[in-house]
Amino acid sequence: MEEADLHAFVDGLLDPQQRRQVEEHLLTHPEDAALVENWRRQNAALRAVYEPIARETPAPSLRSAAAQVTSQPQGPAIETGATHWGRPGVLPRMRRREDVLAQQRRQAIFASVLAVLAVAAVAALATFIFAGRHESSPSQSVMSVPQGYVSRAGLTYATYISDVHAVEIDASRHDELMSWLKSRVGFAKLPDLSAHGLRLLGGRVAPGVAAPAGFLVYERADGGRVGLYFERATASVSQQNAKVGIGIAAIEWRAADFAFVLIGPLSVDEMQSVAESAAARVNLPAPGQ
Amino acid sequence: MTKSADILDGLSEATPAFRRYARALGAGAGLVVADGVVQAALQGLGARMRAREICPTDREAARVEAYAAITALAARKFIATPGPGPRQPPIVHGLSRLHVDDRAVLLLICLEGFGYETVARIVGASRESVFVRLQRARLAMADWADMTNIPAEMSPTRNSAHLRVVK
Repeated sequence: MEEADLHAFVDGLLDPQQRRQVEEHLLTHPEDAALVENWRRQNAALRAVYEPIARETPAPSLRSAAAQVTSQPQGPAIETGATHWGRPGVLPRMRRREDVLAQQRRQAIFASVLAVLAVAAVAALATFIFAGRHESSPSQSVMSVPQGYVSRAGLTYATYISDVHAVEIDASRHDELMSWLKSRVGFAKLPDLSAHGLRLLGGRVAPGVAAPAGFLVYERADGGRVGLYFERATASVSQQNAKVGIGIAAIEWRAADFAFVLIGPLSVDEMQSVAESAAARVNLPAPGQ
Repeated sequence: MTKSADILDGLSEATPAFRRYARALGAGAGLVVADGVVQAALQGLGARMRAREICPTDREAARVEAYAAITALAARKFIATPGPGPRQPPIVHGLSRLHVDDRAVLLLICLEGFGYETVARIVGASRESVFVRLQRARLAMADWADMTNIPAEMSPTRNSAHLRVVK
């Protein structure tokens, strides 16, 4: 019996007759049976870990990725001096029907979004006018922001992390970034997380739960990004069982009267290790103090 | 429905399986990176189909092309990613120690259920090479399938009771 037959047996690639032959062989060759059993356990272990991913619902943009027309260049630059709308010979002469339908769908979606925004704007204006005439109690205002720091950090992360302008001031303008964060947020330290493979891209000021918040963005060599959110901690903000998204972990801690949330697509262990470093560095006295 | 629309629908329906494969191929690279690979591979495939560089005849052929695109892209994207964290299952640690070519062959056969001929087309190698890679991968993984815990030296001690983890 060849080893190839044993592999094919485990992989279900044998016809019924070959399969019976291998089964009979395994009955009399325990060492081969053990080998086959080990391979089966490998397969089972792989499926146990990764099969749940196939049951998740992918993002719509991922499902339609093959149908998306990207703006990436499809070939070498054209150097004829003429103006070409696309690469000659590549685009079909006529737009396909599904492209037209897709464009119509996009236009319909765009029109719907505009209509919703218009209605929202009118509603907001009406609320503003109404609120101006009938003052609401302070407790009603507080009730409208039922968020904790982790939720707010999750929102900030989702909003900015994959944006082209994820940061407003990049790390090369270190002093400017420090000064800005100090004046707007009241805290300015830029923890060095390079030991964890995280390079500081820069930072921005973002809306916090009760005050302006700082948001620093770090990037790994593979392009994965981690955010460090911080905001002056107030006693009125309660900790909640926040959810920050599938595949995203967040770690929250308090130091120097500030709430910090580290958030990103790392494993919990990696995040914990990075958070420990960040927590240690924000507790260090600033240079010159 | 036109043939190309049907093929695009087929790719859309197979996206969960592409994500599973890319995630496993990344072996600890993280969901965002793996999804990025799938997205880039499918966009590239769609562009090549529109440019008539490749013309898959049916859904299955397009699916094979998609796996080939993911495999080719992963070989470049996952080369510098950090390994899995200590709390990842042992089998993921085993995967991460395989060469990406061996890993691809193992996963295409064991996880995605392809035959050797199809895998040879996907990875762009001969059937013999595929079999050698499968043998090598299974041999290297032999010790990891039975493990229930990560070795102690891979589990750093923690002293961070003040950190609140939110998943």
